[in-house]
Formats: sequence, C-alpha cells, structure tokens
Amino acid sequence: MFTLLNLTNMITTGIAVLGFIAISAMFLIWWERKVSAHIQTRLGPMRVGWHGILQSVADAIKLLLKEDIRPAGADKLVWWLAPFFVVVPSVMAFATIPFGKTLIPKDLNIGVLYILAVSSVCVLGVFMAGWGSNNKYSLLGGIRAAAQIISYEVPLILSMITVVMYANTLSMQKIVESQSHSWNILHPNLALAGLIYITSATAEVNRAPFDIPEAESELVAGFHTEYSGMKFAMFFIGEYTNLFIISAIATTLFFGGWKGPLLPGVIWFLIKTYSIIYILMWIRWTFPRLRVDQLMGFAWKFLTPISFLNLAIAGWLLL
Amino acid sequence: MADLDIKEKKDIFTEEFLINMGPQHPSTHGVLSLELKLDGEMVLECTPHIGYLHRSFEKLAENRTYTQFIPFTDRLDYVASMNNNLGYCMAVENLLKLDITDRAKYIRVIVAELNRIASHLIAIGTFAQDLGAFATPLFYCFREREKIVDIFNEICGNRLTYNYIRIGGVQSDLPKGIEEKIKNFIKYMRSKIDEYDWLLTYNVIFLARAKNIGLLRKDIAINYSVTGPNLRASGVKRDLRKDRPYLVYDKFEFNVPVGVNGDAWDRYKVRIEEMRQSLKIVEQALGSLPQGDPTVKTGRVHKPAAGEAYFRTENPRGELGFYIVSDGSAYPYRLKIRAPSFSNLAVLPELIKDAKIADIVCISGSLDILMGEIDR
Amino acid sequence: MAASLMLRSMNNIITGILSLIKGLIITFNNNFTSATTLQYPDEKKAMTERFRGLIDLYPEKCVACYQCVKACPTACLAMTHKQTDEKKKITNTFTYNIELCCFCGLCQQVCPTGAIYMNKIYEITTYERNKLYINLLNPEKYDEWPHTSPK
Repeated sequence: MFTLLNLTNMITTGIAVLGFIAISAMFLIWWERKVSAHIQTRLGPMRVGWHGILQSVADAIKLLLKEDIRPAGADKLVWWLAPFFVVVPSVMAFATIPFGKTLIPKDLNIGVLYILAVSSVCVLGVFMAGWGSNNKYSLLGGIRAAAQIISYEVPLILSMITVVMYANTLSMQKIVESQSHSWNILHPNLALAGLIYITSATAEVNRAPFDIPEAESELVAGFHTEYSGMKFAMFFIGEYTNLFIISAIATTLFFGGWKGPLLPGVIWFLIKTYSIIYILMWIRWTFPRLRVDQLMGFAWKFLTPISFLNLAIAGWLLL
Repeated sequence: MADLDIKEKKDIFTEEFLINMGPQHPSTHGVLSLELKLDGEMVLECTPHIGYLHRSFEKLAENRTYTQFIPFTDRLDYVASMNNNLGYCMAVENLLKLDITDRAKYIRVIVAELNRIASHLIAIGTFAQDLGAFATPLFYCFREREKIVDIFNEICGNRLTYNYIRIGGVQSDLPKGIEEKIKNFIKYMRSKIDEYDWLLTYNVIFLARAKNIGLLRKDIAINYSVTGPNLRASGVKRDLRKDRPYLVYDKFEFNVPVGVNGDAWDRYKVRIEEMRQSLKIVEQALGSLPQGDPTVKTGRVHKPAAGEAYFRTENPRGELGFYIVSDGSAYPYRLKIRAPSFSNLAVLPELIKDAKIADIVCISGSLDILMGEIDR
Repeated sequence: MAASLMLRSMNNIITGILSLIKGLIITFNNNFTSATTLQYPDEKKAMTERFRGLIDLYPEKCVACYQCVKACPTACLAMTHKQTDEKKKITNTFTYNIELCCFCGLCQQVCPTGAIYMNKIYEITTYERNKLYINLLNPEKYDEWPHTSPK
C-alpha cells in the first residue's frame, strides 16, 4: 500500500508530470502555429529562436506583463475562480495517464471513472467565466459552450464504456496490458467506438469543427473575452492541456498506450499521442465550423444513438 | 381565475432588441453597417447603412478629363479593376463613336477574364472564411490570385489598380513572354479549381452550412434588379456577354452556369463554374490573338460631341453601367455609375428575414458585395 | 421502404465521410509544398520592368512642356520653367507630392521626351511627413529609400 518507496515514487512522478505539462503546453502552442502555417503554405514563427521555437516563451512573458483588468460589476469570486476551474481538472486528470510501464503517478483502480469525473468539472469553469463577466454576450457564449460540452459527454462516456467492457477493468494501466496482443482500434466494434470518442472529445474541448464558443466573432464574443493577462493565459494553456489529455486517453484506450517494440514505453506513448494531436490539428485547419443547432443535432440525433447501438452490439458479442 | 391567466401570460414575453453589426467588423466585407432587430436568435428586420466609403467620384468626374478619370474607376471595385476600366472606356468610346483595333479587343477580353477569376477567388476565399474554415481556403485563393496579380504586374506595372485599359485601346502592348506565362497559369489554375471542389464544394460540413440558406427566389431577384452570379444562381440565365455581346465575346464558345435553388451554395457553385469558363475564354483568346497595333491614335484630350451614352458590361459582381452626359467640352457634364453591388445589397434585408444570427454572415458573404462600388 | 431509407442514410454517411477525407487529403498535400511567402525583410521581391513606383526625372531631357502636370488626375506635380540663353525652356522648380500621387502612370505615358518616368521603389514609408514632398530636381532625393532592382 503506502510504503515510503511508493510515496516517493508517486511524488517524483507527479512532479515530473507537472513539469511535462508546462513544457508540453508551450510546445503544443508552437507546434499548432507551425502545422497551421505549413498547411496554409506559409512558414509560421521564424524569428524568435530556431524556427521560432521560443515564440511561446515570448508570448508567455508578454501575457505576464499585461494588466489584469477586471470588468466593473463582475461577480468577484466567480470571475476570479473561473480560470482555475478550467485548468485544474485537466491537470488532475494527468494522475492516471500511463506514460510508461511504471511512469504513472498513481494507477487507480477506477482510473477511467476518475478521469471522466474530473474532466466534467471543466463545464463549471466555462459557465463561471460566462456568468462572472457581467456581459450579455459572454453569458450567451458560456451557456452555449456549457450546452455543447454536456451534450457531447454522453457519446464520450458510452464509447469509453465499450472499451471498459472489452478490457474488463477500469484501471488505465490494465487496459494497456489488455492490448498486448493487438491494439483496440483494430477490432471493428472498438474502431467505431474510437471514432466516436475522438469526435466527441474534440467537441468537448471546443476545438476543430466544433469551436463555436471560442471563434464566434460575429456577435457573441465568447466566454473568455473579459479576461486579460495571465488569466487568459490560463484559459489558453487549459485548452492545449485538454488537447493533450484527450489524445493521451485515446492512445491509452485505443492505440495500445506505451506498448511497442524496441523503444522504451515513454517514447512510444509520446509518438502516438503527438500523432493523434497532429491529426486533430489537421482536422481543425481543414473544415468549416458547424452551426450551434447543427452541433447539438449531431450530438443527440446521430452520435448518441450510434454509440448506444455500438454498446449493445458489444454487449451481445461478449456474451 | 381569469385574472391569474392573464397575469401568467404577461410574465412570459420576449423582447426584441436592436443590434448594430457595425462598420468595423471581421465578417462584413468592407465598411457595412447592419442594423438588426433580433428576437432571440431570429432576425426580424435588417437595415443596411452605407456611405462609409463615399469618395464622391461622380462629382469629381465633372472636373476631370475623360482620360484623367480612368484611375478613379480603378478604385470603384478595387478587386476587379480591369473590368471597371473596361466599362468606362467602352462608354466613352461609345460617346466618341470610336472603333478600336482587333488586337486591343482581344487583349481587353483576356485581361478582363483573368480579373474575373481573381475577383471570384476573393469571393470564394472570404466566403469560406466566414463559414469558419478559418484561413486555409483563403490562403489558397490568395496564392492563386498572387499569380494573376504577378501577370498583371508584368503587363501594366501595378498590382491592384491597373489603369491599363485606356480610351482607344490599351496602355501598351503585351510584353514578350507573357503568353507563355498565361498558358502555364491556365493549366495550373485548372488543377487548383479541382482542388477547391475536393476541399470545399462537396464537403459535408460546408453543405450543411450553406445549402438552403438565403434562398433568393427568381421573381424577387428580378424585382430587386439583382445581377451577376447572384441572379444566375436563382435560375435566371442572363449574362451580358451572351445576351448583348460586346468586344469579341460572340466569337468564343463558353457556357453560362445557372443555379437551381438560389441558396448560398448555388451562388458559390456558380462562381466556381464561372472561373472554369473564364479559363476557357482566355485560352481561346490567346489562341487567336491577332497582330497589330493595340491603340488607336486619338488626341491628347477627348472632346466628344454633346450627347449621352450608356454602356453596360458584365462585372464579376453583376452588371456595371456607365452613363455619361457630355456637353461638348473636355469634361463630362454628368457621369453616373450603376454599381452592381448596390442592387445586390438591397436584397439583403429580404434574405435575412427569419434567418439565424449565424446565417447572416453566410448570406452577406455569399452575395459578394464590395463597399467601394456601393459608396463610390 | 425502411430498407431503402436505411440504404439512403448509409449512402449519405459514406459520401459525407468521403468528402471529409478528400478535404483532408488536399490540406495534407499542401502541407508538403514549399512556402509561398517570403521572409521579408531578409528576402525582398523585385518588381517587374514596367512597375510603377515613384516618379523620377531626367532633368536634362525635360523641355518644360507641362503635359505631365496637366495629365495628372490628382495634381501632385507642380512645375515652373525658365528660359535658357538659346531661348529653350528648362525646368526651374519641379515638386512632387507623394501623398497625392495615385501611381497611374499617365504622366510617364504622355511625356514626349521620356524625361519623367517611374522608378522601382515600392517601400514608400517615412517617419516624417515632410519627406513625402519631393523636389524632383535633386539627384539625391531617393537615397534614403531601399531600392530593389528588377531582374
């Protein structure tokens, strides 16, 4: 149980993971700009450091130096806490992501349930940001974002349950172990679950074709308009951390986690995760955006019935 | 009991509120101000406010000679400058009863059709951007437009306001080697238009955003005197290049694409097909370009006889008309410009009724209006 | 009836997914083409031979006929002349207002001797407004501005 070795192992891995999150967020911001630039046949950041790799550092320094403006009439506590409720759950979800054979802060028995529970708290943060800003349009943006996130939770959970049914366990490390023969994605039932998972996870983090809450430049300005400086940086970092989390979970559940020949587990895990992140970025810069009602219709009228069907077929096949 | 019912009904009511999609906006093309009356998500009424780009061209024309006004026409529809120059010069030549050489006619057609492609590229790119395909189609369209603009840079020396087509012909002959460049460009552009079809036209998300949005019925379009691709998308086959051919358009073989429903997707599709037809025209014109002088020798200052002339050409956005009244002096007495985007904008309040907020941008983007023409 | 409905919706789904994949292929291909942008100011694009940049003058060729001044639509050129000993006209002062110039090239076209022409400077920015009022007879007028010569 809690021996001293276990405790020190947990703490060191935890600190390493926290450091990794910070560096990874900065790297992802730079990488997104580079990927989007190359898709659009231009070059992206080139000046700050080799091919602009220190651009994120420059942006972070700029955001630190900005004035923190609080809108008059904003609900002080709610407005101040909102960024934390967006970032902290994402960081908490890293506690059960298996980076390698033993590189996992704590392999909980209820790993999948823990991750789902913790990432659902993000909705609160979004809604608090919308409400606390004392701005009609931020509120509308926050409500839409909250509705979108809640609607896409259902197919997300159903697809993850399909994997859990096949692996017979909720623990993340054991799910990776159950894929020692073949990756989950190669099984047709689970391939469909994987597709549904990636689609609903993209909608969960407000990215790609589902980014109405943050890219709405027509009338509603989005739930994080009234934030400047470091608080805005928190939202931004939260978004890229979320992106990493969903790709990491997809790797673990569907692509075999850290399993792979020759190279150590960590390298395989990172390669797979970053490939999925690349695919998500690629999708973002190709497709137009869905309208709000089409988004909700897609979730409730298309994804949810299909994931129920998938679950039923999985249950019947496993009997 | 009856009183309680009335009280309950009074508690639940929705209020309409006015919103100004102001002149500075990332999604309206140019400085257009739309005053919207909204009921929740639906638009009840829309009043466009224009005039933010008014530069009083028609009054300035009364103090400029006919040649001096040509640079002003560049700045009307600044995305398709050659077509504006063409319309104006043809109107003045009509007034002067001047005939131009064959080579000038062919060069004018080549240049005008290339500019039509450039203008449609911007229309398509910004339409895709309004729908949320964030910047990728826009960058591809600008990459293609850059090639056209480079060709124009070699021909006349400017990249946006060309001032190339003059009264009596064109400014100077085509430079050596430009025909090879245009031929290469045609081949390149054909493959790129197929790419746009793969990237955008039949994309499921694009179809969901643009199909059945902003339906413009045939009779409404004709009543509002909408012209250009907007009219053709509603099912009316009217193209001035075929119905009243000017220059040498009757010598070329090309189709006029006509839409079916009149929704935003049809307008987009008509523009893509028109780009293909323009490439066909340029190819045929290059193949049969006659030799000769590109300009007719006229005096330095044109003094047409007293009279009036109206000439209309097919601009990428619709029917561009110039009405010139001359009193015999070197300056026109009155110059009136019939801008196609002005009538196209007038139909916008009709289309936006009962649309959602997210569709406003889509509809105004698909109409492809340009404030430079509307405000002059 | 239900079977045809299911078949149609399956068809719709498959065409939908295919259209998405086609779009992805296009952007993927473009990912590996070289960039179409230039790293300005390290790399500068040279304009063409006929490019209309700023107005420049060969003072020895000018015969002070005032055609360019009359042809300009925005009245950005202003000139005075004087007579030489051989009763020939040469320019005395010749000013050019870059603020008003619209780069139409009418002056260059109408000049009978080719004295006035347009050079290839396209980076027309200054920090002070009075630098935009140029005396065309001064041979060092454009020394401060970057010249990118055409190929």
